[in-house]
Amino acid sequence: MRSKIEKIYMGIIFIFMYAPIATLIVLSFNGSKSRARWGGFTFNWYIRLFQDDKIINALANTLIIALVSTIAATIIGTLTCVGLMGLKRRSRTIIMGITNIPMINADIVTGISLMLLFKVLHFETGFVTVLLAHITFNIPYVMLAVMPRMKTINPNVYEAAMDLGAKPLYAFRKTVLPDLMPAVLSGALMAFTMSIDDFIITYFTKGSGFDTLSTKIYNEVKRGIQPEIYALSSIIFVVVIVLLLASAGFKNRQISEKKIALFRMERRLTRKHVAVFAVLSACIVLLAMYFGGVFARKKNQLFVYNAGEYIDPEVIEMFEEETGIDVIYDEFETLEIMYAKMVQNDAAYDVICPSDYMIAKLISKDMLRELDLNEIPNRKYIGEQYLRSSEAFDPGNKYSVPYTWGTVGILYNRNMVKEPVKSWDILWDEKYSGQILMQDSIRDAFMVALARRGYSINTTDPEELKEAADDLIAQRPLVQAYVIDQARDKMIGEEAALAVIYSGEVIYTQRENKNLEYCVPEEGSNVWIDAWVVTKHARNPEAAMKWIDFLCRPDIALMNFDFITYSTPNTAAREMIEEEDIRNSEVAYPGEDVLKRCSTYVYLGEDGDTLYSDMWKKVKSGGS
Amino acid sequence: MGNSKKTSRLLTSPYIAWCLVFIIVPLMMILFYGLTDEGGSFTLSNITAIAEPVHFRSLILALILSVISTVICFFLAYPLGMILAKNRLSSQGIVTTLFILPMWMNFLLRTLAWMTLLENKGVVNGILEYLHLPGINVINTPGAIVIGMVYNFLPFMILPIYNSLSRIDENVINAARDLGADAFQTFFKVTLPLTVPGIISGITMVFIPALTTFAISTMLGGSKILLIGNIIEQEFTLSYNWNLGAGLSIVLMVFIVINMVVSAVSDSKGEDR
Repeated sequence: MRSKIEKIYMGIIFIFMYAPIATLIVLSFNGSKSRARWGGFTFNWYIRLFQDDKIINALANTLIIALVSTIAATIIGTLTCVGLMGLKRRSRTIIMGITNIPMINADIVTGISLMLLFKVLHFETGFVTVLLAHITFNIPYVMLAVMPRMKTINPNVYEAAMDLGAKPLYAFRKTVLPDLMPAVLSGALMAFTMSIDDFIITYFTKGSGFDTLSTKIYNEVKRGIQPEIYALSSIIFVVVIVLLLASAGFKNRQISEKKIALFRMERRLTRKHVAVFAVLSACIVLLAMYFGGVFARKKNQLFVYNAGEYIDPEVIEMFEEETGIDVIYDEFETLEIMYAKMVQNDAAYDVICPSDYMIAKLISKDMLRELDLNEIPNRKYIGEQYLRSSEAFDPGNKYSVPYTWGTVGILYNRNMVKEPVKSWDILWDEKYSGQILMQDSIRDAFMVALARRGYSINTTDPEELKEAADDLIAQRPLVQAYVIDQARDKMIGEEAALAVIYSGEVIYTQRENKNLEYCVPEEGSNVWIDAWVVTKHARNPEAAMKWIDFLCRPDIALMNFDFITYSTPNTAAREMIEEEDIRNSEVAYPGEDVLKRCSTYVYLGEDGDTLYSDMWKKVKSGGS
Repeated sequence: MGNSKKTSRLLTSPYIAWCLVFIIVPLMMILFYGLTDEGGSFTLSNITAIAEPVHFRSLILALILSVISTVICFFLAYPLGMILAKNRLSSQGIVTTLFILPMWMNFLLRTLAWMTLLENKGVVNGILEYLHLPGINVINTPGAIVIGMVYNFLPFMILPIYNSLSRIDENVINAARDLGADAFQTFFKVTLPLTVPGIISGITMVFIPALTTFAISTMLGGSKILLIGNIIEQEFTLSYNWNLGAGLSIVLMVFIVINMVVSAVSDSKGEDR
């Protein structure tokens, strides 16, 4: 009876632990992108996974960092443990106490502290900083495993060896090291695990253009889950289970041996282990370096920083092929995040694609470089009216070339919203509680509330903003989630009925789900322009100009339009759009009546920005 | 002996230097940023900012959710640890390994799995709908965050509890029973006290990451629920107020230090025994 209850209990926890993983594995074979529907068996996601250079790259980075940091931490940690035995007890306690800090401290604090260090030292964040951070938090795991074993080792054996004429190193290798080896290996394994699993510390210490698996997944997830990630999960799970079961079986066999036999075997095995481990790691490091592009030439590189899914990946490849320039392509979620990154390191990127008000801010902070228009002949394809509108934030069009433009409005599902959608008011309608997706970006969220009240979307009047913030706080319980790029997938998957969205997402979402409809509310909204700019301290401005010129080429602009479906200001490209209903789409190219009620964001100055971000924090945390 | 002391110094000095540069100095940096304003002059306002309703609420919420998660983890892990420890001789370590194995899956993938399960049109609701049962609405609520925390950190509770349970000498239990203690008395007077160090280290390993997480709350809370971790992360990545972010981190460190002291005290007690 009792053992039955125990079995049931174990079963329940077992299901709790493995049901989610099983789900991931099942979904990795699901032909449908939807998570609630089975669309037939497919290997498609696995094929796509291996074609996705970025994920493979991130995987390679993860392995290199884990291996190199483990080896370094194991060497430093073991040597320190050996050395500590010769020190006074007091200094030993102090050093062990300091060693405990990274283990007990919260990852977020460790991550931030290292980020501040690298910033102050003007270290360029990237591979090296992540590696240093990983070594730092790995050493304690090694020492924690090795130290107890070290204490049990009898120093007399070592001294006896020395007395018998062995040189110190030889004596150490022959007497101390064999006993220490199992502990060293288990410490190394622990360090390796921690390094692979780490997200937070990597997140704060990684720079531009560098991702490990964790940071890559975090970005992907925030954008909406791609089934390739399920395939990746399944592979990782299978590898982990094979490795662990193998090592568990191994240990058991050892335990069942008699003590002396075990001792000998352990020695023999560990030596063999070390050899195998060394060869394997060398192979993996070399392979990973190959895939990770460590050997790649670093000369002609271009660092591009763009919004999420805002380019046809093939365009990047074509550019690389035609110019021989290596593109390091990074994505930001919101303009505010992009700006924070720019302030952290203003030379991290050569060419970026912000919106109107942010360009004005960057110009006012003297963070942009004037364009060399002779190098961008294709700019002539950009419509005259868009260049004129751009003068609002970039007088004289000196710094920017428009890339896309559009409006902000409400995307809704006709089957879930029966009434006509005309006003922002519907986002405050309790009928749709839990069905509303708001934008997780400061200006857009406030724009909705301000426009609804008939205030200017660029107001800095604290009273008006307070009202808008109160409205947003009142709306918060009705909101399902604050999202950015995820809105698209969630609306296609009918997770929600209404979403605040950029007009550029509409054509794509309607293609995937016929029930979706878009509306620019009658109270007015925002019309925006995203444009390419070159950073002041760009390390490769020539390549940046080439990049902008390339994107202005009509055939390239058309490719991009087909892929991202954001309205292009490139008139030549627009004329080449084949489907007439898209070329003349009311959504992509709204008429004067719509544009009349829309206005552009302007840069509000330092104080305005602080005011908005303070208010936004209040909204997000649910009250004043 | 003098020679060996020299060797010791030689062997430990690289690590001591490493500690200085990558542990001590960075922490000083947090103190420096947290105690100064943008102009670099001394201020306590970044620390006292924790009293602002926005920050205070997120700290309290983080405390509540992480305490709930830790308690749930404990009550799930202890019985499991006992079952596993009891069977350690008969069945193999493989069973134990299986319960700790999810720990080796990437942390974000584990959280992603729950996103997939709990979404409105997710797997759980899909199954419920198929069975003609009413759907659940958990995603983007504090409940979802607690589930995520428990799932992610449960192995960290199981492992130390299992370790300390399996280290208990069977004879001690038998002696207690021989001396007339019933099952409850044996458990509360013998087993439980002997596993206190394991429990404490389990609590530390669950509570601190849960209190300071920002990824779980972002992924399972729909960016709607801000924990103190989210606030700090945003000060660095969004609002660009490093001083405030560092100041709030100092407040977090207070909780970590409390935790350290508690575990140190219990550790030394354990050694006395």
